Amino acid sequence: MADVDPRGLVNRALLVGVSEYDLTEPPHGVPGDLPAVKHDLNRLQEVLQRGGVFGEREITVARSPSLDEFSRALRTAADEAEGLLLLYFAGHGAIPSAGDELFLQMRNASVVAGGHAVFPGAEMFTTVLTVLATSRARRVVVVLDCCFAGNAAWIWETFPDKRRVLLLMSVQANHRIDAGDPRTPTPFTEELCRLLDVDGEVRFSHLADGLRRRMAEAGRKTVRGDDWEPQSRSVPDEDVLVSARAARPPGRTPAPPPPPPPPPPWSGTAARLRAWAAAGAALLRRVLPSGPPRPPTLRAALLSALAVAAVGVGYGIVVSAGDDASCAPPLELRVLTDPDLEPTVRAAADAYLTSDGNTSGAGCRRSGITVYSAGAADAVTTLRGQTGAWQEPHDDDVNPQRDVGPQPDVWIPASRADVARVVQGQDTDAVAALQADDDPLAYSPMVLAVPQNLAAESLDERRGPTLNAMIDALRERDEQAEVRRPDPEFTDTGLLATIGLYRTDPRDPGRAERRVVQPGPPSPTAADLLCTLPDDDAVDDRTAALVPEFLMKSGIGCDSARRTPRIAQYPVDVPGLEPVFVRVRWQGAERDEADRDEAAGRFRSWLTGERGQEVLARDGFRSASGERPLLDTEDVAEGVLRDPSPLTEPAGRDAMEAALAGYRGANGPGRVLFLLDSSGSMAGQWDGPSGGPGLLKQSLGGLGDQDQYGVWAVSGTGEDTYDTVLPFGHHTRRDAERAIDGRAEVEDAEADPYGALRAALDVMERRGAEEERPDLVVYVTDDEDAARLTGDRLDLVVGQARAAEVPVTMVSLKSGGCDPGKPDARISGASGGRCLDADDDLGAALHDEVARTGTGED
Amino acid sequence: MRSRRLAALLASLFLLLPAACTGGGDGPSAAPSTDVPGDIVIASGRDVTGRNGIRERLIEAWNDKYEKAGYRARLVELPGSADEQRSQLLGALQSGSAAYDVVNLDVTWVPEFAAARLVRPLPEELVDEDVIESVASTARWDGDVYAVPFNSDVGLLYYRRDHLRQAGVHRTDLDGGMDWQQLEELINTLNDHKPAGYEKGWTTQLAAYEGRTVNAVEAFASTAEDFALTDGEGHYDATVDELAKGIDELRRRTGQPYVLPDAVRSDEASSLSDFAAGRTTFLRHWPYAYRTLHQSFTGDRLGVTALPGRAVLGGQNLAVTAGSRRADMATKLIEYLTGKESERCLLDAGFAATRSSAYTQDGVRCTVGAATPSATPTGESPDTVPRDPAGRPAYARGTLLPALRQAVPRPRTPLYGAFTQTFTAQLGALFTEHPPGDAELAEELDEALRRALPD
Repeated sequence: MADVDPRGLVNRALLVGVSEYDLTEPPHGVPGDLPAVKHDLNRLQEVLQRGGVFGEREITVARSPSLDEFSRALRTAADEAEGLLLLYFAGHGAIPSAGDELFLQMRNASVVAGGHAVFPGAEMFTTVLTVLATSRARRVVVVLDCCFAGNAAWIWETFPDKRRVLLLMSVQANHRIDAGDPRTPTPFTEELCRLLDVDGEVRFSHLADGLRRRMAEAGRKTVRGDDWEPQSRSVPDEDVLVSARAARPPGRTPAPPPPPPPPPPWSGTAARLRAWAAAGAALLRRVLPSGPPRPPTLRAALLSALAVAAVGVGYGIVVSAGDDASCAPPLELRVLTDPDLEPTVRAAADAYLTSDGNTSGAGCRRSGITVYSAGAADAVTTLRGQTGAWQEPHDDDVNPQRDVGPQPDVWIPASRADVARVVQGQDTDAVAALQADDDPLAYSPMVLAVPQNLAAESLDERRGPTLNAMIDALRERDEQAEVRRPDPEFTDTGLLATIGLYRTDPRDPGRAERRVVQPGPPSPTAADLLCTLPDDDAVDDRTAALVPEFLMKSGIGCDSARRTPRIAQYPVDVPGLEPVFVRVRWQGAERDEADRDEAAGRFRSWLTGERGQEVLARDGFRSASGERPLLDTEDVAEGVLRDPSPLTEPAGRDAMEAALAGYRGANGPGRVLFLLDSSGSMAGQWDGPSGGPGLLKQSLGGLGDQDQYGVWAVSGTGEDTYDTVLPFGHHTRRDAERAIDGRAEVEDAEADPYGALRAALDVMERRGAEEERPDLVVYVTDDEDAARLTGDRLDLVVGQARAAEVPVTMVSLKSGGCDPGKPDARISGASGGRCLDADDDLGAALHDEVARTGTGED
Repeated sequence: MRSRRLAALLASLFLLLPAACTGGGDGPSAAPSTDVPGDIVIASGRDVTGRNGIRERLIEAWNDKYEKAGYRARLVELPGSADEQRSQLLGALQSGSAAYDVVNLDVTWVPEFAAARLVRPLPEELVDEDVIESVASTARWDGDVYAVPFNSDVGLLYYRRDHLRQAGVHRTDLDGGMDWQQLEELINTLNDHKPAGYEKGWTTQLAAYEGRTVNAVEAFASTAEDFALTDGEGHYDATVDELAKGIDELRRRTGQPYVLPDAVRSDEASSLSDFAAGRTTFLRHWPYAYRTLHQSFTGDRLGVTALPGRAVLGGQNLAVTAGSRRADMATKLIEYLTGKESERCLLDAGFAATRSSAYTQDGVRCTVGAATPSATPTGESPDTVPRDPAGRPAYARGTLLPALRQAVPRPRTPLYGAFTQTFTAQLGALFTEHPPGDAELAEELDEALRRALPD
């Protein structure tokens, strides 16, 4: 039973209050005496006696005990208790700089900073718990009313025998509190006594809830100025009765205590306090490592802590562990950004990590940062509709932690419109909330980077015309000229360029896409595009690239010797990049919310400050305000205009959504035929998200209602080389997955890839003759039957694949399956499809291939 | 520091008590536990043994035992990149943005997670004498066991026997290893008699990520018997001279005559692929490549031996998070996943097991599902890994186990993130068009490491 009624058992209450300390003088004394604590003991003793759970002789009051006296009293109480054992402590609490232990300071406490013995005369809370755990008592209740009481919570969490222990703490971790008026109990204990001082049964849970409510209602603040929030810890459903006062006859209820009088003036002590504070500063100078002056962060915090303590109102102390203190592992910020921004944001984070702004007074890093990127459309989709799965992935098919990346604390998309896209469509039960800055971090216009010998010559042609007009003019200068643009799904640079491409005829994105058609899939990012072009000199010489201007400076490092120099032309109708800082807060992430906010805020300030802007300047960005000048006006990249005005308005939410939808449906609905190797050898590669059926199911997200598709299971070597798992047609994803789960299975047979592929190509050719559409054949195999696909048979399949003009994506579950010359590579190459093998990220790559053919949205 | 150690010690002493009451049985017990029934969430990077990995099957086997008691272990896969895994685990455990009960930590992260108290001390007996000594040392921080070795890892040298034959080399079996000079001599021979498609002698992982740190530590550690960048408490402890020697060694190994130029941009996948395509004869890689490469190569074309010089210890350890509400059951789960039979299963499936018994005791067998896919009646055998008579990968006892025993750790510090970022970034200068001299780079590296790892 979780709820214990200890009445009738041997109970013990040990009430410890340290109101007087032997040593209150600097440098080793505690901050001062605590007269209010005397009242705490008197009042608590009184209400507990009346409560009826503890007999008069079961309550021990220890007034300002030394450490030894306390230890003895604690052991005695622990030895004797059988039912409820209650320990109450009021006095000074202290923590080392790491905050990972709480010291309860007894009468003979002192503070020696440096070395090991930091808090002589104090008891570690871990030791207290350990002694309490030796008791036979059925429940142990611990009440701490001191500064940093909440730091006990963690110790309780990691304490193995905590089931019996119920813990009540006056304040949240790392917070100091005011002891209040010396003539009344401390604020926390006063509220505690009021809650106990009622007729009827009072349980621990009742106290914990009531204290939180009452302190909030009273609007009390900690010394730092935060809301004062008492804490409690207990294993769920564990409870215990702490008071059960019999109802009194009417008329005898004591009057509520009068409101406390205003505190008396603290006259006459100023000189002593000043001396204490000065000594505290001297002590800190010894505690902190010497060296070059550092920002006033930790030192100032410690000084202010001591100064507050010195005026006698706080009852706690925090001390750096001394010269041999190691730096604690810092708070980790997860920073998600657009793939094209990743190198710049990473460079900024690297510079920030070692900057003074991120270094504490002790020379430690205040935060760590990991910068990563995810496909821009994926980031928006996931923040908009899948935050629940991001926080807690429940099935293998939808796991953003695996497929998108860490849950970001900070998101830096390439445009503020991305934030609007998320917010507009966000689920009502989303567990991530975004807070975006008003102003972007920087700016970079989208440019048409044209090979030097094909570029427009007059300034008016270089800045002013629309994108499509520029492309037309380019083709007039050279009809062989081509234009390429990065993948609009993967990076915002591609999507922003697409907005410009679609402006002429928004209803016919297919026509616009033909302006940027290229063999094979588009480059994933603008940076990749600029690096890929020089692979083929002829292509490099005749191809203009739609890229952000900053890459004209920082994106041309690869193949620098061979690349064709390019000139930037500035279309008037393509919105530019405006990276914006977005704080992402996750529901449930309350453990360090304030610290995390502060860490994110510091990084943000640094980015917008001088040093951050230096990094952005070096990479070729412009200012986000005014005339949008280049941040680095001295080292200007070749081919870039200093003043390319007029620049365009920021990207709009709807424009981006429309461009993405247009791109996805540009070629109309597609047709996909999946062939799934189901021969015996697939048994070892069947289950789970990266097994054959799992890969196939993940890729269905790339298909929409308008698309048609079917699934064949390939096995058998005679006439029948396949079974139909899902007939060709329109399907919902759910129905399709159900069919695959229900009907696709490993057969005890070998497979004939030759026969199955030829049959598939026949089918797709017939359908192509009926109506032209984007088509795709996907063959998922472990290549165990590749022996049936050699010599003439392979040549025949390759020949048919080439003639059919239907791309075949071969998915080999083997490493090296796509090595040059392998059957998979030859078939996919001849057909214009891609070859994917176990060295690729198969799930994501196959999804992308299918999505390019279909019109699905995730 | 003493206070923290004492606290942890006391906590671990008490943790032993409930375990002693349960009698150590395997099945569900009625021992008192504060655990709340429900899912036990295990966060882990991808299973390098691939589809339907052995980890998943071990977890299913545990669930078969405990599901009726209300506990079900569930694997949540993290991003592929180790940096992102670490970031998510740290960020989530610090803030509470996601709830995990068990985390699979890279061995280099254990001090950080332990020092930050994001994971709990575990019972000592989870790391018994059967665990290979070098591997067992990754489990502890500040005197306590925080993370139990799940699978180990060590740098190995893979090579193409057919290339050696084509180049007229007589000794095509390099068992027993060799030193760098012998390797260089072999490469010189290959450079003079290039097999078809061959470009350079070896390839490895030198891109700007953990792979570069690993390769650099292997070079640095090969220069002196007891070389270490940090002391036992994680404080920076190297001299400029030592660094200069290490840099010189790394420069020599990655010099123009020997290493594939693409190695500078390579990670595990791309180096594996370049080797498999025949562009090099030698490859520095991890044990899981044994299984992958044998899908493409038969034993008479592919060999594996100890890495010349020292090899870095890798691997992952399982830990229980501080915030877990099912810590007792999570500890039991870890005990199962790292036990003798599980380790044998992991070894058979392609991981480096952490226990000696998996390599040496034939009586320890894997009965969980089929760690090695069996042949089907049609005679198709998906298992292409050469095996010894007891069914282990053939190289396990003679090559892998000795390599693990002699492996060197990377620096053990709670500030490993800052260390590796600094180390990788500074050493990047070696792979530029105009690399600085040893002494100059050593000075800069020393200064940067002092900043990253302040005393």
